[in-house]
Amino acid sequence: MSNEHTHTITEEELVARLRARDAAAVSLLYDMYSSTLYGVVLQIVKVEAVAEDVLQEAFVKIWNSFQSYDESKGRLFTWMINICRNLAIDKIRSKHHRVSEATRDLPTGYRPEFASDAFKPEHIGVRELTEQLNPEQKQIIDLMYFEGLTQSEIADEFNIPLGTVKTRARSAIKLLGKLFKGRA
Amino acid sequence: MHNEDYIASGILELYAAGGLTEAEQQEVERVAASSPEVRAALDEACATMEAYAAQYAVQPNPALKTRILETIAAQNDAQNLHEEQSTAETEFTTPVVPMYAGAEEKETSAYKWMFAASIVLFLVSGLLSYNFYNKWQQAESRLALALASEQQMAQNYNTASLKMEQQEQLLTIMRNPNYKPVHLQGVEAHPDANVMVYWNPTQQQVYLDILQLPAPPAGKQYQLWALDNGKPIDAGMLTMEEGKATLQQMKAIQSAQAFAITLEPTGGSINPTLEQLFVMGEIKS
Repeated sequence: MSNEHTHTITEEELVARLRARDAAAVSLLYDMYSSTLYGVVLQIVKVEAVAEDVLQEAFVKIWNSFQSYDESKGRLFTWMINICRNLAIDKIRSKHHRVSEATRDLPTGYRPEFASDAFKPEHIGVRELTEQLNPEQKQIIDLMYFEGLTQSEIADEFNIPLGTVKTRARSAIKLLGKLFKGRA
Repeated sequence: MHNEDYIASGILELYAAGGLTEAEQQEVERVAASSPEVRAALDEACATMEAYAAQYAVQPNPALKTRILETIAAQNDAQNLHEEQSTAETEFTTPVVPMYAGAEEKETSAYKWMFAASIVLFLVSGLLSYNFYNKWQQAESRLALALASEQQMAQNYNTASLKMEQQEQLLTIMRNPNYKPVHLQGVEAHPDANVMVYWNPTQQQVYLDILQLPAPPAGKQYQLWALDNGKPIDAGMLTMEEGKATLQQMKAIQSAQAFAITLEPTGGSINPTLEQLFVMGEIKS
């Protein structure tokens, strides 16, 4: 990884430079987060060309509306991934996309797995670990994260009580947290 | 709600996984900003989702980085130029797009389908009711026709049976030897007039059968007279029914030698108007 050393810059530093409208910081930001952001976008839109457009749109938006990021409210990555997810979900729900993809009413169906080509030693074996999540827990997380459904939409569409949706999301993330910590 | 309860509710995890509406998200952010405990728990959940997302990490095409950086650089140049022109204006006018615009669109799409389906249903039901209405109208008019023809039949039957009854009556009278047939012939002024009277002296019954009489003018009516020893006795008014050979029962007459018919004002007269004598006939004994 040629840009591994740039990861040493802290989130605070990066935020400060972006806030100061340092265009060079965008390059650092891209190196640090693009593969994760792109991976999620690709999971949502499933088509590489569309995912690239979404990522470009997202970075432009991140740069243009950076003043609306408030670190007192949350992590930088959370803010950025939300922008990416919203753009990607808008894309798959746009009329054009809906016409071209008739199978969207099968949200729990086959999800193409794109090979992760970013070498991240810390993630080796994690995918196996997350398979310890029970299918119901994983389904809830993926419906929200990759399909953009809200808790109440999941409750309605899958006829699950709202409380159960919350409980499953919480237990899933708790379990994931433990699994990731165990690896760290 | 206590912070522990709030953290335990699972809402922070929903936030991290992106399962909240924009309003719910803002609420979580507000609580997190005011409570370090909640903020720590929220960060933990978000970090976990970040690690989860990282599993799906894919290195994008290297050309994409160049493309994105160039786009941003080009935009900055344009923006700087713009800023030089009007420094007073805020440079960041890009509105924040609502987080769940997509969800709304999905809802409207569902409504659109429901709307379309309801229009189709409406049209189909409209067509069906138009069809049924037509059929109903046809059935109605056929029924009216059937009823009318049935009524006609009943009327015909009644007329026929009435005629038959009259014929039978006439036949009974004619075959009864007690009845004396009296032929009333037209006088010189009315040679065509021709009436038959059947008289039963024992039962004093008088029947009259108009064979030929001109229709009376308006306000006039024929009256039958019985002549007993030269004295005219009112025997009743004639009812003219055109084209029908009907037998009419007249007033009872005890004794008579002749019968005559005169034209009188409607309702009849006490004494016959002899100038208007039409027919007359003597009883043959």
